[in-house]
Amino acid sequence: MINSFSQIWIVIQMNIRSLPQRFWMSFAAVLAVSVVVAVLLSFLAMSNGFKKTLEGAGSEEVAIVTRSGSKSELNSVLSRDIVNIITTAPGIAQNTAGQPVYSPELYVVVDGIKKSSNTKANLPMRGISAAGFDLRDHVDIVAGRMFETGTNQIIAGEAVQREFSGFELGKTVRFGKTEWTVVGIFSTGGSAFESELWAEARTLQSQFRRGTSFQTVRIRLAEPGDTDGLLAMEKNDPRLSLDIQTEAEFFKEQGEAIGGMVYLGWGLSIIMGLGALAGALNTMYTSVSSREQEIATLRAIGFSNVSAFFGTLSESLVLSLMGGIFGAVIAYIFMDGLSSSTMGAGFTQVVFTFKLSPELFRQAVFLALAIGLVGGIFPAWRAARLPVVLAFRGGV
Amino acid sequence: MSDLYLIYKNLIRKPLRFFLTLFAIFVAFLIYGALTAFDTAFHAGVELSADDRLITVNKINFTQPLPISYVRKVEAVDGIAAVVHMNWFGGYYQDPKTQIQTFAVDQTKLLSVYGDDIIIEPAEHAAWLQNRQGLVAGRAVAEAHGWKVGDRIPLSSNIFSQKDGRTSWDFDIVSIYTGSSAQIDTNGIYIRYDYFNETNSFGGDYIGWMGIRTKNPSLNEKVIKDIDDMFVNSPYETETVPEKAFVKGFLSQLGNISLMITSVVFAAFFIILVVVGFSMVLAVKERTSEIGVMKTLGFRSGRLFRMVLGESFMLVFVGGTLGLWAATGFLGLLNNVPQFPVPDIILTQAIILESIGIMALLGLITGIIPAAYALRLNIITALSRR
Repeated sequence: MINSFSQIWIVIQMNIRSLPQRFWMSFAAVLAVSVVVAVLLSFLAMSNGFKKTLEGAGSEEVAIVTRSGSKSELNSVLSRDIVNIITTAPGIAQNTAGQPVYSPELYVVVDGIKKSSNTKANLPMRGISAAGFDLRDHVDIVAGRMFETGTNQIIAGEAVQREFSGFELGKTVRFGKTEWTVVGIFSTGGSAFESELWAEARTLQSQFRRGTSFQTVRIRLAEPGDTDGLLAMEKNDPRLSLDIQTEAEFFKEQGEAIGGMVYLGWGLSIIMGLGALAGALNTMYTSVSSREQEIATLRAIGFSNVSAFFGTLSESLVLSLMGGIFGAVIAYIFMDGLSSSTMGAGFTQVVFTFKLSPELFRQAVFLALAIGLVGGIFPAWRAARLPVVLAFRGGV
Repeated sequence: MSDLYLIYKNLIRKPLRFFLTLFAIFVAFLIYGALTAFDTAFHAGVELSADDRLITVNKINFTQPLPISYVRKVEAVDGIAAVVHMNWFGGYYQDPKTQIQTFAVDQTKLLSVYGDDIIIEPAEHAAWLQNRQGLVAGRAVAEAHGWKVGDRIPLSSNIFSQKDGRTSWDFDIVSIYTGSSAQIDTNGIYIRYDYFNETNSFGGDYIGWMGIRTKNPSLNEKVIKDIDDMFVNSPYETETVPEKAFVKGFLSQLGNISLMITSVVFAAFFIILVVVGFSMVLAVKERTSEIGVMKTLGFRSGRLFRMVLGESFMLVFVGGTLGLWAATGFLGLLNNVPQFPVPDIILTQAIILESIGIMALLGLITGIIPAAYALRLNIITALSRR
């Protein structure tokens, strides 16, 4: 037994050490696998980054109330009365003065110029109050200051700075007839809120002629994740027809908007992987046929056919692993941290960065090894069955 | 023995390698065909938009409203043939997760502006004018839900509610419209603005945007200027753009999908180039002594050059054609999925011509090195090896 293991080990070493002799064909196989892996990782990094950005925006401690069936903040409408009723529900956290903590918000869409394409894109402008600021975790003014009440001042998210032009600190922007000054830049730790412009809710209501209506209310929950009190009130009061979710659930749903990218990425990589597999098989069959004599000679001096099998198989696995690692490094260098923006479920731009993770790397290496395994197993089978007599044929 | 027969014999002398290489090419053209067709369909809106049509939206953003009084004023602008105003209804049928593009429009003007694209039977159009609750559904959306002319259906809105609080409206389907070509999207629904405006709780007399047809595309610039100047400094400033620019702008909001598709196609072709290129070089190297024999027998170098090049061309064209054929089959399946969000995806003639060009290029690149090798091969070195 020991003997057969050491035989296998010797043949594996021979195969790998002789790789440089078959440099170009081996190189082709490595390259093909690395391209497949790089494509897969680009798609996965994209949808992962989008998901992380939106999930980062959602908190378990905050409930978001929208009009029933509206599905997005933009579509929802809540009158002042509705806001006043729902915020009397049980289960809402209270501040030190004993008042419920909530933030009625306005959500309008304005045009911003995307830097990457120099075209207009929908930017969300949120009307918010001091309470809304406190409701959000990790929110910070990183430059300038907060807007003042009763003035046309806005603060812009960091992602807006990155992807859009015209919202730099101190700039004045025009939305229709109204002019606004950017007085601050805020950060929310990389979440979707950073793709927004914030202004005072009441100012926004009057400047956009929205009367006293709002679109959503965010409510801090007394118990994280527990919306039962709100849901019960909504059910029992005939004046209310609302959807109530924790913010975490709400954004998780929106984060799935480009979940299809994952399937598209896998589908394309598997089809391309089949092409790469054809390349790997070609390489390995060529490798076996160029070493026919060597393999047969080993057999003649007592090496088992099992060792020939594993020698060829591991050569293939090593090549595909090299391809996988190379592709992953390429994807990491070019894709990780890439900033992009797309139309989110809210009909507005969501700025996000491509994000790779150890889990995604594992999946990519798995795909590479699968190509190596299938691409090696058939040629290895042929190697194992080569007739010993080949060793004694002089020349070819 | 003709050269063609020799090429064929050379190709299949190692059937397994032939099959594997062919398969790699097949995969590349399958991906190319399917993705390029998808990309073309995605941008079809830009290609299909008419030169004589404009869109007027609120300058702040196209989701902001305009007062209905603007329609009259715009209609009076010199050079305009017709104006139709539209509102986004936010419609859905039963399931709020599947949105249906529903527009509340001026039913008397819809065809005056968009009649080149959408076809409504004259009798059915007359019925729509008579019925305030009439609804015109696109063929695709009607088929997806099994609607027929004469059905009465409830349609909900995720934005608006009726004055009595309900968020659903009842409509009579008076017509199923079709597109004037397969690439026109028929996933939309048109309802009447007058019915919508009177029943929704916002009241308002507001419209979403205006679709405009000018008398002649050469008048576009003047018309655009006249409209936007008219409302400057009003509470609702407008922005008028050619339809093509609007559609383009909207698509660019989705991010760089085209770039993503192009990179994948490029990556796929790169793999194939590498795989096919190396195995062609190898195949010809293996035949060194044989080529020497052929040269000795009197085959001219030029003829051998053409034969090796012909081999790679044949390989690429057979694999590529099979790949495009599979892509057509795949797209055919996709087009039959109900309510697929884009209009019919087809391999247009342009794509097929492009593919043929790429095949020729691929055949040339993968064949030129081994062919040149065969061309320059010296008989003595060829036969003296080993």
